[in-house]
Amino acid sequence: MSDQHTQTQISSAEVHEVFADLHTRYGVRGLEEKRADQAFVRTDRDEAVAVLTHLRDRHGYTHLAFLTAVDQIEEGRFELLYMLHNYELRHDLGVIVEIPREGDGCSMDTIHRMWPAAATYQRELREMFGIDFPGSPRLHEDFALEGWHDLPPMRKEFDTREYSERTYYARPGRTKTDTRQHMKDTIYPSEAETW
Amino acid sequence: MSLKDLVTPFSVWKRALEKPYTNRKPLDSRPGADRYRGFHINDVDKCIGCGTCESICQNEAIDLVPVEGRKTKHGDSGLRPKVDYGRCCWCALCVDICPTGSLGMSNEYVWVDSDPEVFRYVPGHDEKPWNACEKGYRRAEGYDLLEPKRVEMPMLDFSESQKSFVEMVQGYSKEQAMEEADRCIECGICIATCPAHMDVPAYIDAIRRDDLADGLRTVYEANPLPASCGRVCSHACEHVCAMKHKGEAISIRWLKRYIVDQIYANDYQQFLDAAAPENGRSVAIVGSGPGGLAAAYYLRLIGYAVTVYDANEAAGGMLRYGIPEYRLPYDQVDKDIEYIRSLGVTINQNVRIGADVSFQEIYDGNDAVFFSTGLSDPYALEIPGEDLRGVIPGLTILDEVTKGQKPDIGDSVVVVGGGNVAMDAARTSRRYGAEVTILYRRREVDMPADEEEIHESQGEGVTLITQAIPIRIEKGETRRLKLIWGKAEMVPDDRGGRPRPRLIEGSEEVIECDTIVPAIGQQADYKFLPEEIAGRLEFAKGMVTVNEFKQTGDTKIFAGGDIANRKRDAISAIANGHSAAKGIDIYLTNFAAGGRA
Amino acid sequence: MVNTDTRSDRPARRGTPIPGTSSARGVPNLATRSQEHINDNPLMPPIVDGKAVFDLDSGKYLKLWQGPQHPGITGNMSLELVVCGDEIVECKTHVGYLHRGFEKLMERRSYIQCFPIVCRIAVPEPDFNEYLFAATVEEIQGIEVPERAQWIRTLNLEMARLASFFMWMGGMAGAFGLGTQGQWTVTMRDYILDRFEELTGGRIYHMYMIPGGVRGDFPEGFTDRLRETIDTCEKTLQDVERTLFNNAVFKKRAKGLGVIHPDIVDQFGIVGPNARAAGFARDVRKDHPYLVYDQLDFEVVTHTDSDAYARAWVRLQEMYQSMDLIRQILDRMPAEGPFFTKLPNVLHWNVKPGHIYKKAECTRGEYGYYLNSDGSDKPRRIYVRGPSYTHAVSLMEHLSIGCNIADTAGLMVSLHTYPPEVER
Repeated sequence: MSDQHTQTQISSAEVHEVFADLHTRYGVRGLEEKRADQAFVRTDRDEAVAVLTHLRDRHGYTHLAFLTAVDQIEEGRFELLYMLHNYELRHDLGVIVEIPREGDGCSMDTIHRMWPAAATYQRELREMFGIDFPGSPRLHEDFALEGWHDLPPMRKEFDTREYSERTYYARPGRTKTDTRQHMKDTIYPSEAETW
Repeated sequence: MSLKDLVTPFSVWKRALEKPYTNRKPLDSRPGADRYRGFHINDVDKCIGCGTCESICQNEAIDLVPVEGRKTKHGDSGLRPKVDYGRCCWCALCVDICPTGSLGMSNEYVWVDSDPEVFRYVPGHDEKPWNACEKGYRRAEGYDLLEPKRVEMPMLDFSESQKSFVEMVQGYSKEQAMEEADRCIECGICIATCPAHMDVPAYIDAIRRDDLADGLRTVYEANPLPASCGRVCSHACEHVCAMKHKGEAISIRWLKRYIVDQIYANDYQQFLDAAAPENGRSVAIVGSGPGGLAAAYYLRLIGYAVTVYDANEAAGGMLRYGIPEYRLPYDQVDKDIEYIRSLGVTINQNVRIGADVSFQEIYDGNDAVFFSTGLSDPYALEIPGEDLRGVIPGLTILDEVTKGQKPDIGDSVVVVGGGNVAMDAARTSRRYGAEVTILYRRREVDMPADEEEIHESQGEGVTLITQAIPIRIEKGETRRLKLIWGKAEMVPDDRGGRPRPRLIEGSEEVIECDTIVPAIGQQADYKFLPEEIAGRLEFAKGMVTVNEFKQTGDTKIFAGGDIANRKRDAISAIANGHSAAKGIDIYLTNFAAGGRA
Repeated sequence: MVNTDTRSDRPARRGTPIPGTSSARGVPNLATRSQEHINDNPLMPPIVDGKAVFDLDSGKYLKLWQGPQHPGITGNMSLELVVCGDEIVECKTHVGYLHRGFEKLMERRSYIQCFPIVCRIAVPEPDFNEYLFAATVEEIQGIEVPERAQWIRTLNLEMARLASFFMWMGGMAGAFGLGTQGQWTVTMRDYILDRFEELTGGRIYHMYMIPGGVRGDFPEGFTDRLRETIDTCEKTLQDVERTLFNNAVFKKRAKGLGVIHPDIVDQFGIVGPNARAAGFARDVRKDHPYLVYDQLDFEVVTHTDSDAYARAWVRLQEMYQSMDLIRQILDRMPAEGPFFTKLPNVLHWNVKPGHIYKKAECTRGEYGYYLNSDGSDKPRRIYVRGPSYTHAVSLMEHLSIGCNIADTAGLMVSLHTYPPEVER
């Protein structure tokens, strides 16, 4: 059962073969080959679980390295990233799924039945980004943020500085002097040299 | 479970015989490693308070604060970093980035106190036991987050440059400019030193962002002659640049030139503020040098009708007539001037105030007058033989060349002087094929000319003789003239100034030449002012006395440029013009509200 | 598609190697020894869908918190246990006691300002964060790190692995009441930290592998002192091996504890020694050689028992391996050369747009950084994949069922978890 180190690296042709298969079956698109051992593809939300299942069961991408989200706030969407790994071919394949970041659409099908560990990722994504994964175990239990009632903090609109200024107080006695202003005030304070 | 499993753990007993590796209390002899990142130290005399440590700190642990006994001066904000150890994470990026190398860390890490407020101090200024600590973290040789060397400027080589008036400095390409702009640390120390207080970091940032329109806007906020200044500015900014402490200053002047060079004159109007509609008041400006043009630009921008009077055929003053084309091509001067003219500024050429039009006339006919007439009278050498044919002042040669005349200099020229006019006259003569020698009274380090001008003149084959005092001029035997000069020794100045040259008696030498070019400075000529008006103005050491707004003793008259400041460079004249424009506006708005005086 | 029937006809006895099949194409099976044990015991609650079904009000069960102080050397986290007698029927991992939101903080700082932050994501082994952060930025920007810097980085990582293993080893012994080995190994760790201190200027947070290379070359005489330290460490480790791995207490308690069935390795994303002790010869250093690992000689250590003892044994062998690798590196690295390459001005560095995932083999397995750059001066997203994320949460919750209260710490430590990398 141990993986053999004599196995050769996956070839670009093989990556393209996997991609072609996914493209035909599920309309997967946007192949980005980053390195010989790493590529990314994009798929629609409705096909995502089928794509992941297919990759795991037919193409040997059995390891879910992680699941996370990237906030593309300007475009109003989250990019979910399922980073899969094939130990036999030693290949990373990131599957990117775009979902809306607002409203009911901000949800995704759960994959905890495929990878029980995914339940933790999904719990965290719910807490940190506000993404719903209906059916995922203990989804609404606090993860790292016990008693948090603010915005999900990993969303880009959550302003950490504003939050900390609102929640904590600055240590008294600190003063800042702006270098340029200070030099102006001391070297050329005149109104005649103020443009 | 085997017997072995029960017995082997007892082998621990052998350790009872070993030396323990715990440290004896009190722990007074465990210094941090040689490069340990302990409490900060700072050589406060080397530090210039640029605040780069403050900007790189990810935790906002550093504040720049004024400290007692340290004055703000050019190139030193007078502020020093204060570290809050409640926030410091000991990463030492502040040490790595410090451009002067003043900041370091000691290897001291023990400091116990019951008062949390004390863990906040100005390293190097506040007395701490580790201030003199030699050990501790310093930036390693071979590791540097900043680039000490500037991007090399493509230049014509000397063999080419001395043959023609083609511009020698060829300008940065986009890649070169962006790379050079990337070196800037945005401390802004330079702003105070620039006479016009240009927001240098902002326009350099615009280059990095490749938003040159924004860069042009920033430049024009403080300088309406950037194509010229981008070439010949005395760049005091570069002398105080924080990066100079590390290596070479940022090429501020040439980066400004890069911005201007990339934008066509015709496109200026879509990027720059339009002039306000005329407000019914008018200002006359005498002299179209940088001071006059700057005043004209800023006055016109806020709504004044501006008329410039200039004695020469073309505008620009010394920019055009005092600086040779290989340093500042005329089309670049024109680019600056034409934009100012396009805003509605009238420039009357070939009008000599005091001769063609009286000063009184423009004084009466306008709400205010600004004059920036510059220094036009060359100082004489005041030695015998100065009236001989072949003695031609430096400015005259430069003026003739601008006017398209070939100066009558012959095959060999001796220039007397060490300023930029001397260098320009020498290098111009070189371009007409003459053998050129420069005589200067003091040492090379004392020469007021820009370093690069001295370097380039020598590169072009000019011979420099220092500590040489001209004694008399006579008619030559093989050449038109001969100059008798003596060697000087440097003696300390009794009044505490720089050492003075003293003629070594009997050290006479002779040099034969066709032309002798005195270029030891020039003075102002105020003959155009009517006596009555001149009586209301104050003069001191040849300069008009003005207040901060460049207003003279006559409230309606403002003056600037070389006649009103000691720096006597284009950028100071521009700053004067800008201040005067502000002053004129304040004066006309608040104190002369009745309209025409 | 997951077989939720936890009863399996596969024989599973304590301490016996479990014949495994790759779960890649086989039928996934969540069965483990401990859960079968519960379902065999009429006193224990039934297991449905992998979880115990019980009524807390029945009085048969007790809720017990372990933590959030360090339960063994595992860092600040806590386990909410439901016990029946002294056997655990349910376990929930609680994290968040350290949460400082590093990933979020990094989105609001320039790249150079992220550099001092990353090391804090795994306190006992910060170097992998430094390396992976630097490596992702370098790869996106297209920066080539000089050869000597690559060797120094490799050395640094192996030193970090060794120090981290030493700390873990003490915790492992301590979790079973064996304090002596803990004193020895923590001392050895300190000796390695002495070397770190003179090399990097810091003992715990080294902040040494900056994008572009490293911040300094070896101090005078460093290699000799490092060799000496490694010799001392080796001698002590032999003592530890003798007194811990041939110790009746340790053997009795660790063997058969927390058996990870090979089938669940991929389901729970199990990596590193936890997977290698289950028979999977997976090691990022071998499978995706980074830095100079392709120029070093080493074999991937595996075991098949997959219990706490097997995992400890694998780690013990990897400690010897790290010492060997450190010696190899000192022997083979170029004697001199640049250790840093010029970066764009870090004060306003807009990293090229793009995204990349880089991984390295830390003591707990696959450690990874995903960097997403939008071309601005701040990262759009940095995701840190710490092996403890699955090991300490879903795997721990799964394995602890049927375990004794007294063995919880031992089980936890045997998974080698660092909570900061769970919370990031």
